Amino acid sequence: MLPALVFFGLFSFYPIVNAFYTSLFKQKLLSLAPPEYIGFGNYIYLLHSSTFWNSVRATAIFTVCTFVLLVGVSLLLAAFIASRKRIQSVLQMAYFSPAVVSSVVAAAVWMLIFDPRGLGNQAINAVLRTPGVDHKWLASATMLQISTILVYFWKYVGYFTIIFIAGLTSIPTTLHEAARIDGAGAWKDFWYVSFPLLKPTLVLVSVMSMIQCLRTFSTQYVFTQAGAPRGPIDVIAFGIYNTAIRDHQIGRASAMSVILFCLMLVLSWMQFRVSRSDDVSYL
Amino acid sequence: MSPTSSGRGRNVRRVLGRAARALPARILIWTVLGVMAVYVLAPLVFMLTAAFMPARDVMSMPYPWIPRSLYWQNFWQAIRGNDGKFMYARSILNSLVVAAAITASTALLATLTGYGLAKFPFRGRRVVLLLIIGTMMVPFQAIMIPLYMVVTKMGMQNSYAGLIVPFLINAFGVFLMRQYLLTFPDELIDAARIDGAGELQIFWRVIIPNSWPAIATLSILTFRSQWDNLIWPLLVVQSEEMKTIPLYITRFASEKYTDEGAMMAAAVIASLPMVILFFALAKYFVGGAKLFAARKG
Repeated sequence: MLPALVFFGLFSFYPIVNAFYTSLFKQKLLSLAPPEYIGFGNYIYLLHSSTFWNSVRATAIFTVCTFVLLVGVSLLLAAFIASRKRIQSVLQMAYFSPAVVSSVVAAAVWMLIFDPRGLGNQAINAVLRTPGVDHKWLASATMLQISTILVYFWKYVGYFTIIFIAGLTSIPTTLHEAARIDGAGAWKDFWYVSFPLLKPTLVLVSVMSMIQCLRTFSTQYVFTQAGAPRGPIDVIAFGIYNTAIRDHQIGRASAMSVILFCLMLVLSWMQFRVSRSDDVSYL
Repeated sequence: MSPTSSGRGRNVRRVLGRAARALPARILIWTVLGVMAVYVLAPLVFMLTAAFMPARDVMSMPYPWIPRSLYWQNFWQAIRGNDGKFMYARSILNSLVVAAAITASTALLATLTGYGLAKFPFRGRRVVLLLIIGTMMVPFQAIMIPLYMVVTKMGMQNSYAGLIVPFLINAFGVFLMRQYLLTFPDELIDAARIDGAGELQIFWRVIIPNSWPAIATLSILTFRSQWDNLIWPLLVVQSEEMKTIPLYITRFASEKYTDEGAMMAAAVIASLPMVILFFALAKYFVGGAKLFAARKG
């Protein structure tokens, strides 16, 4: 017990407090000069920095798009799969399988798919009947954003589908039977019975996927290492890393960490509150 | 016509009518399921097949999908590396050591702490619990820079210690084990106590053997997240010898002369342990996901 607490203190609380503290200083990594106190200077700097706002925009685009896709599609898939008992476990496993490969591996595989000669162009060109067109997956700004979203969505859609299926199957069948007897079709049954009862799961999944999206780093890092432009996918975790390690601006990076921390705290608090107040009882 | 047969006729017509109405919906559903299945599985199949093809086949259009013969040189090339120093073998070893050490310590310490929080009323227990739950909500990305400075001050960069120590225990694990052990029957513990077992003995002989499902789920989650960890090794490791698999693959994939087939071979090797675990323990993988849904059931 006690070692665990000391441990939490050293590796969890101290860094948090330290992040707040360091964010008030102008401090350089590996520099022997004592840090200089500049109050909220780092925050003011960030608010005027176009790089920071670009980071915020990249993160927002990534998070919102991925989040909508993830929640929407996984809910749809879960609704389709949950009622098909025979094939449920097979499909569930198939959709879940990308979660098994690590995110760096996923990024490497998709990098080849997004190659000008890769499967990405081949598939799009086959569907649109535009042979030989290069869609610049890793070169143009918008396509690059779409690419990172596709990778992330690919990796996690099965995971959230399974959570939704668990939520759907925990709804007692008697409720569905009652709805059917009252003359509801499949659609009405889903919309008026499953959906409202699924709300807590829905909120949980939403917040969870949003928090996960805000932390995205690997795909963006691997893609830029391989030569993709950084600007469009300079998400905030990536920005923190670059500010601290490449630019050696520890104070500024800490200020960014604090902002990210506060944002997550708000989201987590929402999750906590909703999951408290909205407990379902099937009565 | 007798009334019964006309009744049956109407029934048949009603069933057929419903089927006809449902047909477009069914087609739609199966199209969605099918397209998603292709989207989800195609990259995995691509990875596996490309690993056995020479680079000119991997990058040929259209993609051939079936290797003409098993081109094992890719795997040799992946392990050997472009500079011929066999650094991938070292990275695999590093990843295994780090992930195994963290998984073992998390399983043990989280169970121990969770047990303490679940079964021993002591002063300040609520505060401790709240602090731990609070830690759960802190994203790693927000504390990584200060953490990096702590680790640097302790002189642990470029070492196993630097990679392992910050993750020896995690708040989520403690929370998970506590929730699980809350429902653990007190009678069992009391019975052991009456039989004269010491507290440590109770923990080893009673708690651990009866908590396998939770421990297995936690272990898989921990192992997977460490196997997947890119950002932390990226911060603390600079030397080639201490790189873990994600770092190696990132570098290998971004090198100019890397052959695409060898890249996929490296990817397949990196995925093997997780794939084996997945097939052996699929229910705990899925259990990990369901845990979230059930958390407030």
